[in-house]
Amino acid sequence: MRKTTRALAPIVALGLVVATACGGDDAADEPAETTAAPETTAAPDTTDEADEADEADDADEAPSEIIFDFGVTEDVIRVGLNADLSGPFAGLVTQITEAQEVFWEIVNEEGGIAGRQIEVVILDSEYDVPRHLENYERMAATDGRESVVIFSQSTGSPHTSATAQRLVEDDLIAIPLSWYSGFAEADFGANVLENYANYCFESMNGIEYLVDTYDAETIAIVTLPGEYGEDGAAGAEIAAEALGLEVVYNGRGAAVPGADQTPVITSLIDADPDIVWIATTPGLTAEIFGAAFAGGLTDAKWSGNSPTYTYLFHDTALAPALDAAFYYSTYTQLWNTGDVPGMVDVVEGMRAKRPDAPVSDAYIVGWTEALIVKQILEQAAANGDLTRKGVTAAAFEVEADLLGLAPNQTWAGDMNDFAVRETYIYKVDTSLFTPGGTVSDEGAGTGFRLAAGPYAGTVANDFVFTEACFKP
Amino acid sequence: MLMRPNMFTSYEQDIQMLPTTTKKVVATLAVVVLLLLPFNLPVINQIPIVSFLGDPGWLRPMSTVFIFAIAALGLNILTGHAGQVSLGHAFFMGVGAYAGAVVGGTGTSSVWGWGLPIWMWLPAAGLVSAAIGVLVAPVAVRLRGLYLAIVTLGLVFIGIHMSNTSWGRRIAGDPGLGRDFPKYDIRLWREETPLVDVSSNGQWLWFDITAGQKRYLFLAVLMLVFILLAKNIARSRTGRALQAIRDRDIAAEVMGVNEFKYKLIAFGISSFFAGVAGALFASFAGKLPAVQFSLFLSVELIAILLIGGVGTVSGVVMGAFFVELSPKFVEEFTYWLSDRSEQAGVVGTMSDLLISNAAGDFGPISVVTQSPGWPLNVYDWNLILYGVLIVVFLIFEPLGLFGIWLKIRNYWKRWPFSY
Repeated sequence: MRKTTRALAPIVALGLVVATACGGDDAADEPAETTAAPETTAAPDTTDEADEADEADDADEAPSEIIFDFGVTEDVIRVGLNADLSGPFAGLVTQITEAQEVFWEIVNEEGGIAGRQIEVVILDSEYDVPRHLENYERMAATDGRESVVIFSQSTGSPHTSATAQRLVEDDLIAIPLSWYSGFAEADFGANVLENYANYCFESMNGIEYLVDTYDAETIAIVTLPGEYGEDGAAGAEIAAEALGLEVVYNGRGAAVPGADQTPVITSLIDADPDIVWIATTPGLTAEIFGAAFAGGLTDAKWSGNSPTYTYLFHDTALAPALDAAFYYSTYTQLWNTGDVPGMVDVVEGMRAKRPDAPVSDAYIVGWTEALIVKQILEQAAANGDLTRKGVTAAAFEVEADLLGLAPNQTWAGDMNDFAVRETYIYKVDTSLFTPGGTVSDEGAGTGFRLAAGPYAGTVANDFVFTEACFKP
Repeated sequence: MLMRPNMFTSYEQDIQMLPTTTKKVVATLAVVVLLLLPFNLPVINQIPIVSFLGDPGWLRPMSTVFIFAIAALGLNILTGHAGQVSLGHAFFMGVGAYAGAVVGGTGTSSVWGWGLPIWMWLPAAGLVSAAIGVLVAPVAVRLRGLYLAIVTLGLVFIGIHMSNTSWGRRIAGDPGLGRDFPKYDIRLWREETPLVDVSSNGQWLWFDITAGQKRYLFLAVLMLVFILLAKNIARSRTGRALQAIRDRDIAAEVMGVNEFKYKLIAFGISSFFAGVAGALFASFAGKLPAVQFSLFLSVELIAILLIGGVGTVSGVVMGAFFVELSPKFVEEFTYWLSDRSEQAGVVGTMSDLLISNAAGDFGPISVVTQSPGWPLNVYDWNLILYGVLIVVFLIFEPLGLFGIWLKIRNYWKRWPFSY
């Protein structure tokens, strides 16, 4: 009940748009797993049992000597999502969740992992920290049918950060829906497996691309206060310095949700920059971009960190201005773009399992999260250890192959080595947007044309990443 | 004479906290059950409903109830007894949380923290909050009803805004990530091993006890202390003065009740409760951003009061239990039903009508889809239920759960002649 982010009301509104768009479309057919057998740890050295199991087991990928403890039984592996299903990001997160469900349905049809079916445990965090913690405890419990072995989603920075220490204590891994550069630091988020590049690198790449393309000399920065906006701003400042850009307006932390944005907008218009880098919420972006464009800032090229933007803008009066000025920066390939094997899987999977679902780029995010978890679990199974400790260890052994949907990724060793630096930059092209399009529509798109990607500029490549770009 | 209810021969008897033997016995039993709940003891785990409240999965919600009960008892003194509607309770909880964090939290390069023990930071949380409550009170004393609600509402926004300033961040931490709060561990001073460890699994006396059980006991005892406090304030001279102001402020002043002074006291005490509850709330979460202390928190507390019964201590405690636990009950019940929807019989049929297990299935409660469309999932239903409950209670049972309890009690008191 405790919604925290009144300030993000515009996103709620956008979420509602999504909500209406996908009303009553879901043909989910989850495997009903009602009888969770009590977990038993099969002793690896009891040869009698092992032999028996060998005979009984025809799936060659399921070595009988696999040990397991919590969240895994003889026939089930439970994967947890601590996801915002009724809070401000519900529209986005439900689609991410949906893609994960589809992914695991397909994996289960193909025999599961190590002879076990994957059961997804989804609890609603309401984007509320105490509620998120409560869900966490339910899923981190060592018994019960909500006990999981890994979190394939943990929505929100404050929420994930509040559980970061607990994850280490409980030997659990979580993939956050947040790209703060601090999660790469071992003492901040040792068991938080941040996927894709972070806000900081994203800013560097986006700005370098715009500078190269448009010979820009001046830049303005507008961001939210806090870890997301200011991490993006920190990356933008690093890029500006490295590329010799003059920062004509630095609105780092200036866009406060719920406050009057007029000072930000007038400062932007007065500064008349060649590039604007923005890290806010979609609601604020619409307000600031729309007003600045209407106020005469028509020549500047705009881009910003991924959560700044939503393709739902493409159905609004902003569309012509966005076509003229906006580049969308993000971490993955978008729906039905890019000729990569992973995209074929997502598109075919969604068409087969959720034919009426609306077109969205969020499916790619959910799909890659699930891909990472699948590879971790397969690694753990190959190691013969599906205990929480074993799965956590496996997470630092794999090189997650995201099948071209996003750059491959590891989490072992030094953060400067494993951090992903490539991002994707898209030109907004609203003519490619299909209003009301579903995943089954052949040409349906969300309105973007790939400009560069996977792309890492010289600034990002040369940057020595030893600590978070923005320290609170 | 000894055992006759409602027969009081002296004023002292009339204002006794537990006037009858029955009440004394019931209250003692309730406290014993509450404290022994998490240990899965014989007898107690046979009581319906109560039996599973002590399960590990329920410990966190139950502990949250205790914290909210303390906060709501504070609001009850201001709104219930003194009749001053306040939407600013979340602000005072926030003040307490951050006062506690500065006094008891660990200082880093980015946030202040003195690392003092709990016997200093918990009272400090209450006192700082009370001081700010007293500071705000003179403004509030001049206002009444809706106007006061709006003014106190403003506090919530001011608080969140201030947490965003450069010095606010030294107190509240990053606006997105929040800051770490001190744990419940009881220390004499800053020693390494706490005197009483409340935050990790271990042993108390001769018993193995989990961190969850420890926190439960710690908070349960604190709630009992604050119930006693609230009850005593209500039946003291102060309490009666506050109620006189609530019922008719002008008449109260004519009788010699100093309105200004008592409203100040009401704000102070109420904020003290809120401050302590806020510090407990934040510490329980471990890490929170400042936006957590928003209007929604205030509204939740108002809901506890309205549903439980404004102006009554037991009603407010009931309200805290009801509001905090009912979503979880609904969830559990839904899962329980969905497990049975394929079975024959009454339960199976009912479940089949209510739960939609697959797309296109009949039933308003969906357990398959997570999307916010029809049929709604159980989380959406909880949101709707919450709103509906407030409306229903306001219209049909202004005394809240306490009113319902009174009706039941009076019915059986007069039985078989109740009509």
